[in-house]
Amino acid sequence: YSGWLRAGEPIDESETLAKSSSGSRLPSLRVLPCLIPPSMAASSETKGEGTLRKAFGGVLGFFILLLIGALAFSIRLFSVIKYESVIHEFDPYFNYRVTQFLTKNGIYDFWNWFDDRTWYPLGRVIGGTVYPGLTLTAGSIWWLLNNLNIPLSVETVCVFTAPIFSANASWATYLLTKEVKGTGAGLTAAALLAMVPSYISRSVAGSYDNEAVAIFALIFTFYLYTKTLNTGSLFYATLNALSYFYMVCSWGGYTFIINLIPMHVLLCIVTGRYSPRLYIAYAPLVVLGTLLASLVPVVGFNAVMTSEHFASFLVFIILHVVALVYYIKGILSPKMFKVAMTLVVTVGIAVCCAVLAILIALVASSPTKGWSGRSLSLLDPTYASKYIPIIASVSEHQPPTWPSYFMDINVLAFLVPAGIVACFLPVSDASLFMVLYITTSVYFSGVMVRLMLVLAPAACIMSGIALSEAFDVFTRSIKLQLPKLFESPGVSALNAFCSDMNFKSGDIDSTQDEVVKVDNKAATDKSETAPKERPSKKNRKKEKEIVETTIKKPLKTKRLLVLPLEASAVAILLLIILGAFYVVHCVWAAAEAYSAPSIVLTSHSHDGLHVFDDFREAYAWLRHNTDVDDKVASWWDYGYQTTAMANRTVIVDNNTWNNTHIATVGTAMSSPEKPAWEIFNSLDVKYVLVVFGGLVGYPSDDINKFLWMVRIGGGVFPHIREPDYLRDGQYRIDAQATPTMLNCLMYKLSYYRFVETDGKGFDRVRRTEIGKKHFKLTHFEEVFTTHHWMVRIYKLKPPKNRIRGKLKKSKTNSKTNPSNSKRHSNLRKNPWQ
Amino acid sequence: MEEPVDRPVSKVEGGDGRPAIPSTRSPKSAGMAASQMPMATSLLILLLVMLGGAASSPSGEDLVAELETLRSQSPSGVIHLDDRFVSRFLTSAAVPRPYSLLIFFDAAQLRSKPELHLPHLHSEFALLSASFAAHHRKDDASSSSSSSHRLFFCDIEFGESQHSYALFGVSSLPHARLVPASARSLRDDSIPMDQSDFSRGAESMADFVEAKAKIPLGGPILRPPPISPRQALFLLAGLLISAPFLVRRVLAGDTLIHDRRLWMALALFVYFFGVSGTMHNIIRNMPMFLPDRNNPDRLIFFFQGSGMQLGAEGFAVGFLYMVVGLVLAFATHALAGWKSVSAQRGFMLVGMLVAYWAVSKVISLDNWKTGYSIHAFWPNSWRKLVDRNMAPRIEKTSLLALLQLETGHGMVSEAHSEQMNSSSPHRKTFPPQQGSGEDETTPPHDYKIRRHEPSSLSSSLAISVAVLAQD
Repeated sequence: YSGWLRAGEPIDESETLAKSSSGSRLPSLRVLPCLIPPSMAASSETKGEGTLRKAFGGVLGFFILLLIGALAFSIRLFSVIKYESVIHEFDPYFNYRVTQFLTKNGIYDFWNWFDDRTWYPLGRVIGGTVYPGLTLTAGSIWWLLNNLNIPLSVETVCVFTAPIFSANASWATYLLTKEVKGTGAGLTAAALLAMVPSYISRSVAGSYDNEAVAIFALIFTFYLYTKTLNTGSLFYATLNALSYFYMVCSWGGYTFIINLIPMHVLLCIVTGRYSPRLYIAYAPLVVLGTLLASLVPVVGFNAVMTSEHFASFLVFIILHVVALVYYIKGILSPKMFKVAMTLVVTVGIAVCCAVLAILIALVASSPTKGWSGRSLSLLDPTYASKYIPIIASVSEHQPPTWPSYFMDINVLAFLVPAGIVACFLPVSDASLFMVLYITTSVYFSGVMVRLMLVLAPAACIMSGIALSEAFDVFTRSIKLQLPKLFESPGVSALNAFCSDMNFKSGDIDSTQDEVVKVDNKAATDKSETAPKERPSKKNRKKEKEIVETTIKKPLKTKRLLVLPLEASAVAILLLIILGAFYVVHCVWAAAEAYSAPSIVLTSHSHDGLHVFDDFREAYAWLRHNTDVDDKVASWWDYGYQTTAMANRTVIVDNNTWNNTHIATVGTAMSSPEKPAWEIFNSLDVKYVLVVFGGLVGYPSDDINKFLWMVRIGGGVFPHIREPDYLRDGQYRIDAQATPTMLNCLMYKLSYYRFVETDGKGFDRVRRTEIGKKHFKLTHFEEVFTTHHWMVRIYKLKPPKNRIRGKLKKSKTNSKTNPSNSKRHSNLRKNPWQ
Repeated sequence: MEEPVDRPVSKVEGGDGRPAIPSTRSPKSAGMAASQMPMATSLLILLLVMLGGAASSPSGEDLVAELETLRSQSPSGVIHLDDRFVSRFLTSAAVPRPYSLLIFFDAAQLRSKPELHLPHLHSEFALLSASFAAHHRKDDASSSSSSSHRLFFCDIEFGESQHSYALFGVSSLPHARLVPASARSLRDDSIPMDQSDFSRGAESMADFVEAKAKIPLGGPILRPPPISPRQALFLLAGLLISAPFLVRRVLAGDTLIHDRRLWMALALFVYFFGVSGTMHNIIRNMPMFLPDRNNPDRLIFFFQGSGMQLGAEGFAVGFLYMVVGLVLAFATHALAGWKSVSAQRGFMLVGMLVAYWAVSKVISLDNWKTGYSIHAFWPNSWRKLVDRNMAPRIEKTSLLALLQLETGHGMVSEAHSEQMNSSSPHRKTFPPQQGSGEDETTPPHDYKIRRHEPSSLSSSLAISVAVLAQD
């Protein structure tokens, strides 16, 4: 019988394959294998038929996958088409700069790079603090292309790295889902992932960030893990460790893997699903993976020292204990086993307790209990908002609301529950893993919105499974009942018989996993020299189960397991509409919501398109008009861009590793002019850059971020108090604002001369007239303001001279030509400068 | 500007600023007469009372000793004041007093109102008091001379001391006041605690005390551990004892955890929990619903603007998400086994109707809440065709509202998508629009309003561009 099963299997697979593309050609083909009674199924003819169909399905699947890759790549090109081939946002600029350095100076210099352009005067060790995966990937792509005589610029390679890797990610999704639920589900999931908005948001062309590569690595690692689980092959286990290494190189999110997989192993053990394959899948990963991970400088000894990794070691120990128990169980008689069991359990528990106690003592000795702030805020969601304003201030760390889910995974949110249910019917190790993946990621994404990115692949896979199973049932119903409408009862009886067979093969597909398992078990049993007459209770039970199912099945499937024809047709129609809506939404999201590079802004109005290119204007000005060693102070958001585009030294940047330094800048921005000048002067700052959106209505400007500067500054320097900037708990900049607010540096630098634009000083972002309109700057002078006033650059005035007369002279000088950037070179007459 | 969700304050002030708590709740309003009087009169009375009391008032030392004994009587060190004590320690004591008081205004009848958090705040206040006492015990013992450092924590209950409420002019709760040593008029010289000072519980109250009374707390707030050491020991012992049994049962494979239905239900629940944004509600302390500001009888269940959601809203949409998936799962896996074809048909019909309704509901809710108009991208030639011939028909039949044609091409405004992204993972820093539960910090412009007026926004942009062009 099982021989027949094997023959039936490829047929079923090709069916699902073909179904997902076009079902028109198949009904005629499908009748054939059904007509052949089971006894003949093993004959060579059917085998030939099966291989033909398998080949056909394989080729079709290959082309579908190619198309999916093309889709994944091209849907991310909106940003290039609508704007230009430019690096986006903030972090990508840093990555771009690092890649440039890598391609210019080679890997060793990159590894040892100490960057003195950021975090002045501290500097930053780039090689040891950066995840090198992305940079190395793009660098090697560039190197390869150049060696093939394809002269692409580094920037071009960087811009298109993310789309390329999203195509890879969708293929990896196919592989992973195929391991869980078969080819049909795999193709559906891959198609869904190719255009899921959440992933698009981090991987449009130009969004050159770690996540773009890391999601591929994440899915691929999971694929190799499930592959090892299903096959028990050490080859895949080794690949899995390598893939994990790539993930560690790419993204800090690797801790998700190293916690999720142990959780799965633990779950398998607890639910009695331990098998040697589990051991092979897990143990090499921990050993090799940890060794490899500690090779990455940014991780280093963290791979064994921090709490994020402890779970994996704990489970490693437990797994060994369990493996030992199973081994002993196999070689001992039940009675002996009971005795041994008590012994092992007591010893094991004692050892575990000792290890636990040591671990706890070690962990408790460190102040944050060995957890990093971000991980802690995942475990205790309210942690960050209470204690770490710098984490709480970042918008991607906010908890999402339900529209965020609808925006980012769209209709997949509806389909996931069905996928979860499908994973339990029947449950296998791989499907259990997927369930665990979706539950953990959905929890984490609930804590901070950026982790929606980790949820997206799981949601795609689950929805792929759900859609594929639903289509399976509905199309089967139509396929088997459609001929009945036209044909005579005799033929329909035949059809019914065929459907029985057909369904059986479908059923078999689901139990195939079980069968394979038993086969495996038998194989291992044979290889063992232990007495085979006494298989354990569990083994016997399982065998009995199999026997039962094989007996039961023919009885069970006598009846047609289908749904009403017309209802199935409508259901398919609805599902297709749902899918169409998903496509429309994804394309819309890719085109409108996520493609803006945020470095160039555009606005459509009735008289055409307006482009706001102020940022690049300002950075270009800095690059061309300031000394190469001048220091520029700005809020940390603009640090990466300033170093990358203006090539000037900054005080703080987006790598927020030093809270005190950021707080110093925040304090300076929240102080009145004189103390601010003193702070900046002590840091050798020459220029201060502020982003101001009040004129054009650009809402994410510095005034809107200002309260965070106050908070972060006040966290370190207590004389800055948030209530001083709030009037009755309200943040306002109009006439009601507090004097502290109206006198702080940020207000002054933002609104200096603002009243000259429209005579009233109306702020379009805050929708109010500003509180203090006419004022002069005493310690700063305006040197450059961009076309739309979005970036304003000020220069620190030189320290006051003791020679009164000269100072007065320069003052009158500045009065005659107030704040005209071109004529400021006149002021440089001060002999002390 | 509208602040939809701030920490609710029961502010039901009448026109003349008199406290509304008594007028709504209790018929007897002895204290109201006083509060209704003009300021000058009440001050005069206060002065008279003080002068009258001064003759027979005990010395400052006595009062301090008395306060200390009172403090020692309560476990947390919070002194319960009533009208008599208020007059004794505050109104009739000679100014400057050798102590200052931090008074928490409590009302037994309002404790049941969940949005005021009175019991919670009171317990936080008690914690602060206890911590303060713990950190300053040494000071009190060693030097009684440092009178400025004497701070006593008191509470006043509204029902029994309405007169004092009137004296302080307290009209809204939650409320706490610091009465400095030099305060003469209770209403004017005492310092009320801001909403922001309540926001983070005892910690922020301590900040307030430190800022206003210039008395440092001298250490962290001492919170009782969630599990006492003894409980922890018991738990550990229980775990150790039960461990062998548990392990045995696990190995035998016949526990609850081997039931896959349990795991399935758990997984579905976690999914529901996550997708309905419950974490957001927990972190931000969102209420289930809000009373409508314009119409107090109505409740708001759905909040417009994507940065925030109410509790009931999240659960409702989470439920809709789940319903569709579960119906699909049922139809896929269980329905085929049913015997009766008409039952199958009926269920599928109902199921599809429900699913269709749920999906379209979520889509329309999402469009309403976020203000995005999701539209397809057709080739230009098609659009012309559609515009010319079939525009009205398409608009009517637009399935699931998915074929919204691009009408005014005003949607593409970058600043618009800029705002949209503020909640998406794309933005790095964003304006503190809901700063970690302290909603006061919302900047004085409102995203939500603007988001729904893309046309006006782009026109404003156009204006500004025009202005610049003139320059």
